[in-house]
Amino acid sequence: MEMSGEYRIPAPIGDVWAALNDVEVLRICIPGCEELEQVSDTEMTAKVALKIGPVKARFKGAVNFENVDAPDGYSIVGEGQGGIAGFAKGGADVQLVEDGNETILTYQAQAQVGGKIAQLGSRLIKSTAAKLADKFFKNFHDELSGAETAV
Amino acid sequence: MYETKYHKASSVDEAVSLMGAADDGKLLSGGQTLLPTMKAHLAAPSDLVDVSGIADMNGVGVRGNVISIGAATTHAEVAGNAALQNACAAVTDLAANIGDPAVRHMGTIGGSIANNDPAADYPAALLALGATIKTNARDIAAEDFFVGLFETALEDDEVIVSIGFEAPEKACYAKFPNPASRYAMAGVFVAKTAGGARVAVTGAGDDGVYRQSDMEAALDGNWSAGALTGVSVSADGMLSDMHGDATYRANLVKVMAGRAVAGC
Repeated sequence: MEMSGEYRIPAPIGDVWAALNDVEVLRICIPGCEELEQVSDTEMTAKVALKIGPVKARFKGAVNFENVDAPDGYSIVGEGQGGIAGFAKGGADVQLVEDGNETILTYQAQAQVGGKIAQLGSRLIKSTAAKLADKFFKNFHDELSGAETAV
Repeated sequence: MYETKYHKASSVDEAVSLMGAADDGKLLSGGQTLLPTMKAHLAAPSDLVDVSGIADMNGVGVRGNVISIGAATTHAEVAGNAALQNACAAVTDLAANIGDPAVRHMGTIGGSIANNDPAADYPAALLALGATIKTNARDIAAEDFFVGLFETALEDDEVIVSIGFEAPEKACYAKFPNPASRYAMAGVFVAKTAGGARVAVTGAGDDGVYRQSDMEAALDGNWSAGALTGVSVSADGMLSDMHGDATYRANLVKVMAGRAVAGC
């Protein structure tokens, strides 16, 4: 399934790009992220807890940066194993466009879910994935907007 | 396998303190969603606190037009309550058509709204009736209670005690059930209340139950199915899945709304 969205972020493109590469910012913005550790410039390991209705599943996996084109965009790609719950993988192509002192962020995200969680939750996976993707970019927007007003 | 401790609470206070003491506790009412999820190992709470036997949380009270339903009251008990049927048949009819007999005899109104499945029936009724959800800690208006897909305003250890509302002048619920699960593909609850017309939609919106305000405005001036013909329902924000896409669901909302108003 595919999702997309656009956010206007009240910060210069350089700051937005730095934040997109800041592990601490990403950890705060990824919904349910419990741990995110940098392994190399482009690789991280992650632990994410998903709670959707009665379902509680913990995914362990990797998050990588690909197609890095500083400061205009990159792809962020993740994959995790949730044990008996199944697996989840997804990614987002992110583009940044400078607009004066502000930055327009657009994304196209894809997600795939497999295993038990997909069998039982098929009617809800699309809405849930879209909601999680949007939550990430909304958190990211709020994180950067908050930092601006605090200054 | 994993271990789960089962506790049977005998009062609301006991349920709250058992939840507070649990490492990763879950309230258990009818268990019609939670237990299948646990069987599939998609949830593994450390403790289950069973609230189904708490006297204060059971039964239906009808005093004039003021109605109160205990959170642990099953759908079958609601469906079969004669006083409630006289006061607001829309709610007893809704309860009579939830799921299947097993769900209706085990599942409870409190469990249904705490789970807030985007295709559950009760959230539409509560939102349209402007109900108040009473918990151990506070009263929450239905408007504020249903936050989004499977999300409510409840805190982790908060226990729903009862649901209260006033009988409306007229009300009716129409749903297009999925033929297998009986979950609403689209369900519309309409109510003519003292505060005006209210229309709540479940099963269709991708962020859970919501109010269709343009239909409410149309019905305020003219309470008839004909008043809805001019209202168009957008496919934006509608659920889309293997059972039906967004455009189909948008159309279902309009058709179900018309049937609900005609059924009043």
